[in-house]
Amino acid sequence: MKPAASVLLLTTATGFGFGLLAWLGAYSMLGLLPGHARVLVAAGVATSLLFASFGLGASMFHLERKERAWRAFSQWRSSWLSREGVAAVLTYPVAIAFAAVFWRDGPVIETRLLGATALVASLGTVYCTAMIYASLKPIRQWHNRHTAADYLLYAVFSGAVLFATLRTMDLGAPGATASAAAATAAGIALIAKRAYWRHIDAQTPLATLAAAIGLPKGIEARPLDAPHFTENFILRQMGFAIARRHAVKLRRIVLVVGFALPLALSILAGLTLAPMATTTLAVACTGVGLLLERWLFFAEATHVSAVYYGRRI
Amino acid sequence: MTMLPERAPGAKKLGLVIDLDTCVGCHACAVNCKEWNTGGEAGILPDYDKYGPEPDGVWFNRIHSYETDGQGCSRTVNVPRSCLHCEDALCVTVCPTGASYKRVQDGIVLVDTDKCIGCQLCSWACPYGARELDEEAGVMRKCTLCIDRIYDEHLPPAEREPACVATCPSRARHFGDLADPDSKVSKLVKERGGVDLLAGLGYRPTNKYLPPRRATIPTAPAKPPAPGGKGIGAALLGLLDKALSR
Amino acid sequence: MRPAAKQPQPERTVARTTCYMCACRCGIKVHLENGKLRYIEGNRDHPINRGVLCGKGSAGIMTAISPARLSRPLRRTGVRGSGEFEAISWDEALHIATDRLAAIRATDPNRLALYTGRDQSQSLTGHFARMFGTINYAAHGGFCSVNMAAAGLYSVGGAFWEFGEPDWEHARLFLLFGVAEDHDSNPIKLGLGRLKARGAKIISINPVRTGYSAIADEFVAITPGTDGLLVFALIHCLLEAGRIDTEFLVRYTNAHHLVIDAPGEAEHGLIARDAAGRELCFDRASGALLDAQAVGTDPALIGEFALPDGRRARPAFALLAERYCAPQYAPEAVASRCGIDAATIRRIAAEIAEVAFNQPVVIDQPWTDTAGRRHATMTGRPVAMHAMRGVSAHSNGFHTCRAIHVLQMLLGAIDTPGSWRYKSPYPKPIPGGEPPGRPRTPGGPLDAPPLGFPRGPQDLLVDEAGEPLRLDRAFSWEAPIAIHGLMHMAITRAYEAGPEAIDTLFLFMSNMAWNSAMNPGETTRMLSERDEKGAYRIPFVIVADAFASETVAYADLVLPDTTYLERYDCISLLDRPIGSADGPADAIRIPVLRPDRDVRPFQDVLIELAGRLGLADFADEQGAPLYSSYADYMVRHERRPGVGPLAGFRGEDGRAIGNGAPNPRQLERYVENGSFWRHELPHEQLYFKHANRAYLTGAKTMGLIDDDAQIVLQLYCEPLQRFRLAAEGHGVRCPPQRLRERIMHFFDPLPIWYVPLEEAMTDRVRFPLHAITQRPMAMYHSWGSHNAWLRQVLPENRIYLHRDLAARLGVHDEDWVWVRSRSGSLRCRARTMAGVNRDTVWTWNAIGKRAGAWALTHDAPEFRRGFLLNHVISEYLPKREDEMQHSNSDPVTGQAAWFDLTVSIEPCGPETHDETSPRPAANPLRVRLAGENS
Ligand SMILES: Nc1nc2c(c(=O)[nH]1)N[C@H]1C(S)=C(S)[C@@H](COP(=O)(O)OP(=O)(O)OC[C@H]3O[C@@H](n4cnc5c(=O)[nH]c(N)nc54)[C@H](O)[C@@H]3O)O[C@H]1N2
Ligand SMILES: Nc1nc2c(c(=O)[nH]1)N[C@H]1C(S)=C(S)[C@@H](COP(=O)(O)OP(=O)(O)OC[C@H]3O[C@@H](n4cnc5c(=O)[nH]c(N)nc54)[C@H](O)[C@@H]3O)O[C@H]1N2
Ligand code: SF4
Ligand code: SF4
Ligand code: SF4
Ligand code: SF4
Ligand code: SF4
Ligand SMILES: [Mo]
Repeated sequence: MKPAASVLLLTTATGFGFGLLAWLGAYSMLGLLPGHARVLVAAGVATSLLFASFGLGASMFHLERKERAWRAFSQWRSSWLSREGVAAVLTYPVAIAFAAVFWRDGPVIETRLLGATALVASLGTVYCTAMIYASLKPIRQWHNRHTAADYLLYAVFSGAVLFATLRTMDLGAPGATASAAAATAAGIALIAKRAYWRHIDAQTPLATLAAAIGLPKGIEARPLDAPHFTENFILRQMGFAIARRHAVKLRRIVLVVGFALPLALSILAGLTLAPMATTTLAVACTGVGLLLERWLFFAEATHVSAVYYGRRI
Repeated sequence: MTMLPERAPGAKKLGLVIDLDTCVGCHACAVNCKEWNTGGEAGILPDYDKYGPEPDGVWFNRIHSYETDGQGCSRTVNVPRSCLHCEDALCVTVCPTGASYKRVQDGIVLVDTDKCIGCQLCSWACPYGARELDEEAGVMRKCTLCIDRIYDEHLPPAEREPACVATCPSRARHFGDLADPDSKVSKLVKERGGVDLLAGLGYRPTNKYLPPRRATIPTAPAKPPAPGGKGIGAALLGLLDKALSR
Repeated sequence: MRPAAKQPQPERTVARTTCYMCACRCGIKVHLENGKLRYIEGNRDHPINRGVLCGKGSAGIMTAISPARLSRPLRRTGVRGSGEFEAISWDEALHIATDRLAAIRATDPNRLALYTGRDQSQSLTGHFARMFGTINYAAHGGFCSVNMAAAGLYSVGGAFWEFGEPDWEHARLFLLFGVAEDHDSNPIKLGLGRLKARGAKIISINPVRTGYSAIADEFVAITPGTDGLLVFALIHCLLEAGRIDTEFLVRYTNAHHLVIDAPGEAEHGLIARDAAGRELCFDRASGALLDAQAVGTDPALIGEFALPDGRRARPAFALLAERYCAPQYAPEAVASRCGIDAATIRRIAAEIAEVAFNQPVVIDQPWTDTAGRRHATMTGRPVAMHAMRGVSAHSNGFHTCRAIHVLQMLLGAIDTPGSWRYKSPYPKPIPGGEPPGRPRTPGGPLDAPPLGFPRGPQDLLVDEAGEPLRLDRAFSWEAPIAIHGLMHMAITRAYEAGPEAIDTLFLFMSNMAWNSAMNPGETTRMLSERDEKGAYRIPFVIVADAFASETVAYADLVLPDTTYLERYDCISLLDRPIGSADGPADAIRIPVLRPDRDVRPFQDVLIELAGRLGLADFADEQGAPLYSSYADYMVRHERRPGVGPLAGFRGEDGRAIGNGAPNPRQLERYVENGSFWRHELPHEQLYFKHANRAYLTGAKTMGLIDDDAQIVLQLYCEPLQRFRLAAEGHGVRCPPQRLRERIMHFFDPLPIWYVPLEEAMTDRVRFPLHAITQRPMAMYHSWGSHNAWLRQVLPENRIYLHRDLAARLGVHDEDWVWVRSRSGSLRCRARTMAGVNRDTVWTWNAIGKRAGAWALTHDAPEFRRGFLLNHVISEYLPKREDEMQHSNSDPVTGQAAWFDLTVSIEPCGPETHDETSPRPAANPLRVRLAGENS
């Protein structure tokens, strides 16, 4: 699948944003936020919405007819994309209410409840995003149980790294729980990603060319001539293929930059070793790493329709 | 509504039956489809770089050609590929706007280009590569089963069939109601063992493909040549001996 | 999609006319919306296509708006080939042409050479040439199918080409030799669909398994140029098994005619005749020599008999049987050469016999034969055959095609139910028409059309020394039965003959400087070569084309034509008709769009030129033009009294068919009828037309034939023997010494097989592979590339080779390779496949374009990755030891031997390429408009 910048930015940035919101919500729900955290909550919610808005804004570039974007909210009964939109939009008032009430009242039962709601709304949105991909049967690398879990995990992980940074800004250090959370999330994310890759590497193609053209088992088919000589929309979108060699290299970079480094940096930050520098660096690494991870998520995904053109699927 | 409609009892299931045993791969159906839909109610199907280095455009129907081997049979198979008007059309349910829909009355899957936002998700959801983005209008396009012909009351009944079916020079394309077991198309599917493409994916396509087959002429096993085999043989002499009448 | 918003109803009209995106001539319905083209569909009432329309036809809309359309008359300003022109008025253009042609006519009309492509107005262009008085006229048949036409017309009085069709409704076995697409594009597809629907078996004999061959039930990957051997082997098996239709042979062919056996004598090999000129046979019942056409005899098919004068004679069949029973034609003997195993050949022969003799088709339809016998039924052999350029485009194609016709005759499978059938107006008396015309008076019209049918040496167009009179050497000892001329030699010969021989080369609708040139590089050089004084070796070139083709750049004067939707055309029985086996038909094209450019229909222009030149039949005694336009000519011109360009709706009341007075309302009647006319033959006339009393009488009344006698099928082709006897020194007109051996060899009255000439003269160790081209279904020669839809299908081409061969050569899909022949090299990309003969490589025809042509951008794939195999074909065979050099043609008919090419393939080095080679410099048309400075 062709990795479009708009979609990479959308999924990564909303992951950061909603992940952060999830952490704020979770902390609040669990009563881990003291009264003086109102600045943290306000800034945190603002940051998370900034990230989410940036992501959602970027996604607009994926739409050919932006002026009609409002229509995308209508099909929540069947469409995960529609649900994502609805969920994202619903998350905003929840987040704002949460920040506002916390600002006014601090950690009270209402903010604990609002925090819980924000947690559910943000992770729910991420889940919807994930399900857009996970529900696509023609793409075996997406249509599996890893996709939704991984999206949630990466949101939680990138949110954690961001949360640790905000805590550092606020308190001078992320604190043991936050850094431990970030480090643990990074670790799990790393394991999950490797499991995902193992999974897709072991998959067999969804179909043979012979099955795609309705021939019985035992017959092999090879493409002779494509309908047209030049690349068409389908091939541009679904025929995108990345050389195995490159994929291996990029996977390594993702593991190191996207997961291992943030993990190490989070531990260092937890040990209060230059926490400001280590946490911000961790965010940067996570950002770069996850963008690359997302790029690979697309680039390594194959669409069954490309089999008609004799492409690897 | 992008929920798939409940199939009403007695509703039609209109679709195509394409005979891979007869398709010569001539592209007539593809070009005539393009011609009909360029300027039909579906609007102009764009072409990019008409006279330049990368000629490309939107087509609802494309003709592939393959070579096959196995089961002692090696042949060339031409496969026209367009929307199959699936019963479990994921392309419809993923659509966030309701632009993609499946008609209750006949099962035709359509795109309302006035609603489409060009998110392209439906094209990702279609395993057959049947949806193409109109990169000029920014909306998704696909085969309409020539809905603007098959129901056009101004046309004589015999002409109310899709453009690609009407034009196919080898008559490899058939159109009809696959819900009606007595229809011509249902019978063809039954007689000729019509199949679903990518059946394993579970989209339950309406269009069916008739597999290539092979006519034979049974003969007595060829006799080995008469030894020597020189000059006019006995069989011919016998024949020539018979009286003739001019 | 939602119901369209309410808009003012556009004005919709539908015009019915005839497609011309190729030469198949399907009926179309053109839908216009507010005068603009909206949709073209097949006309369901039309006999040719019955409503279907191919890809090309469906893309007509894009041709009508192509930027490559020429828009005004042009006069060359730069050097030839530079593409520099200035726009001139029609008045000026016609003046230039008239002056030039008038001057030619006043000196030697043969100094005008008129060559036309697949224009479908040959009855007009040929008549123009005849009235102008030039013998130098030809139309495209020499490129494509003269082998088929000549072999058919000299054997059965019809031909595969467009003159016959399989009985799609009754055939049970269909053999298709070397066809990728053919002229009958849609009818063949419709027919194949019918065969498939009926479960008949289709066998495709073809080196390449694409298109029609892809859907064949059996694909026989023959080695190019060996079909003749395969057919002989099939005949061998049938003879061996005694599975032939002897009754058919004696009734309808000359199998029983006695052939004089008197080696060395002037009549050796001719048919024995009685004093009244009637052919003789030996009647076994009476034991006497009798008129071979007599009824009720029991003619001998073998044996040797004494003629009254004491000479010996044998039935033609005996000669045939002796020849093909010989072990050299046993399947085992030909198998390796043909690339088909012997068992397969034997099985196919058995299948043919099974279907022909055990499953005859019987139609309950009484009929009467020419002998007056009434038959209760029509019984036929449901084995149908069709063949085209896979046979035709080889230098042994004439004989191979004859071999197929002989096979059909042996089976009784000519115009019988289930077999191959004549399309009306065929059959015609053999050989098919008058001999080629020659000038009656110096400077006057020819006494017959320039293309004709030589019956023997007396009809050749040669001088006292036996040397050719025609520019292209058709009807000379080099190509005696060149009934369509030698198109592929026209430019070369004009160049060689120089300004003394030819003044003006007038090309219409043929891209002769490019894809119909053997070796376009050389051809364009010849067109542009000048002497020391700067004069062109070919003094003047007029090109009439509708589009900016490669050839236009080499014209001195360009006459821009309309497109097919902007003019009247006539698809006449006098030319290549659209009749079917069910009856005669013809059609017209009508203007549906008004040209938006300063162009004129070529036929109007030619008629105007003829009028201005005062040619007989185009101008009256006083020199005043007779016709105002082509439409006028179509209605009023009479070739013979009562017979004109259009056969339908003749006579005052429009009721006469074929023969009748001109009808001033004729065109209206055609338009009302969908722009075609067709006459359905009564059922009694549908089969055995060559010997069907009712049919032949009816055909004569309609003016289709002049003589309604039985048309005796020529198993044995006597006219060929006449040429041979001349080569032995008999008769007054003998070939020059240097050609005698050649004539002796190639003019065998029974089919022979030989290694194609080019192949035989080439070092097969260096060039071990056969190289051929095929027609792509979605493109028509060079016309598809400026069509925005069609060029998406094939904007470039590849050389295809067998996977095993590719593996041996180390070639992978999309690799760049060198294709080398004895005459040149070209670089292109390769693709591998399994469905191809192992020793054959092939590509699509006419995809490669010259940069600058067809209004494509400079980086179009047609230029950069498309290629023409023609670059490595030569119009000449290698020089022989005695310095003689023949054209690359069939020695009997002059048919261009496009497919005799042999090549080698080698992968290009590791350096990367992105362009095919050779790639001549770009020469786009640059037109200076009147009034514009420089
Ligand atoms: N779409 C389309 N239709 C056309 C044309 C076009 O350009 N495009 N051109 C028109 C014209 S002018 C012509 S002449 C006709 C020609 O129409 P066809 O007769 O179909 O001609 P080709 O495609 O040149 O070649 C015919 C076939 O011969 C095979 N062949 C080559 N050598 C041999 C051989 O030795 N033996 C056998 N058995 N087969 C062999 C080739 O593989 C090819 O499949 O088509 C007409 N129709
Ligand atoms: N290698 C190889 N070469 C071949 C062949 C092959 O099989 N292999 N086939 C040969 C055969 S069979 C043939 S018939 C020739 C065909 O070769 P050509 O006769 O050269 O055919 P085209 O390329 O179609 O060129 C026809 C010209 O007619 C012009 N034209 C189109 N429509 C109109 C119109 O309405 N009016 C006018 N005035 N002009 C028009 C086009 O612009 C074009 O310039 O090619 C031959 N060349
Ligand atoms: S073929 Fe594709 S576009 Fe058509 S209904 Fe099925 S899934 Fe949808
Ligand atoms: S591209 Fe259009 S039709 Fe397809 S899913 Fe998006 S909105 Fe629906
Ligand atoms: S049914 Fe109509 S829209 Fe669909 S492929 Fe055929 S011609 Fe095109
Ligand atoms: S028109 Fe018919 S024969 Fe031609 S490609 Fe389409 S389905 Fe095949
Ligand atoms: S075969 Fe196609 S291009 Fe040729 S006349 Fe018929 S519709 Fe037109
Ligand atoms: Mo041709």
